[in-house]
Amino acid sequence: MTVFLSGGAKNGKSYHAQRISKALSRGAPLYYIATMIPHDSEDNARIARHLREREGWGFETLECPVRLLSCLDCSDSRGTFLLDSVTALLSNEMFSPEGEIDRSAPERVVRELTEFAARAANAVFVSDFIYSDAMLYDEMTEAYRKGLALCDAALARCCDSVIEVSGGVMTAHKGVLL
Amino acid sequence: MHLVIGGAYQGKLRYAMEHFGVTPELVFDCSEGGIDFDAPCIVHGERYALTCVREGREASDDFRAQRERWRNAVILCDDISCGVVPIDPEMRAWREASGRLVNYLAGEAESVTRLFCSIPQVIK
Repeated sequence: MTVFLSGGAKNGKSYHAQRISKALSRGAPLYYIATMIPHDSEDNARIARHLREREGWGFETLECPVRLLSCLDCSDSRGTFLLDSVTALLSNEMFSPEGEIDRSAPERVVRELTEFAARAANAVFVSDFIYSDAMLYDEMTEAYRKGLALCDAALARCCDSVIEVSGGVMTAHKGVLL
Repeated sequence: MHLVIGGAYQGKLRYAMEHFGVTPELVFDCSEGGIDFDAPCIVHGERYALTCVREGREASDDFRAQRERWRNAVILCDDISCGVVPIDPEMRAWREASGRLVNYLAGEAESVTRLFCSIPQVIK
């Protein structure tokens, strides 16, 4: 089973994604795909908080900031995978630390996400709904927003359930609530 | 009139093409400036609200005054209502004018559809 979750920041997406992943795993391996590349102390604190929040859930962490399919080489694809988040994965693939932008990244990430969803027994994907603010962004930011929307739409198409989380409350746009 | 709303890049135009028979030559895109109230499909209605803010007018009043011209159209608007209140006064005025415009259009619309990750939900 595959599940796609999106919604605004701090609305409870990660909590629900962990809960759903745990429920889907039924004793089989449960993996957390860590996508964040820490850049400063704020990021380190965020990662420490996320690690604390996952304690006791039984997740094995797979560090995979880029090349999503590579984490299938060192795991059991019969397990359940939680990818949190698509937003960070695309950002890592699209923007290099040297400040270069890879415009082919969204299409590549779409292909990898789609293949990953097909190969993993269970997968839960978390993205961020960054499309409804009143701002005129620069061209690079717009390319990123458009790229993430492409990833979101591809996952919404291939996943069994598509869930919007708002204020901790889930709404199913496709499939069933879990 | 059918109103299609949702965040940026959520598949509104594709939905309008598949569902209401919109084709590219029927589309007027307000993000290029101005408006054509007679166009069968008006896209980026929220950007007309920004044009009006810059010209000191109220977009919803303009639409109200031209109702006969667009009442059979398909109108698409990005929802720009969910971010932090913008620091820039122009962006702030735009956000509010866009909200008033979408509210007015939704009230007049025969149907309102919201797109989420390309999945439509008819909300009116």
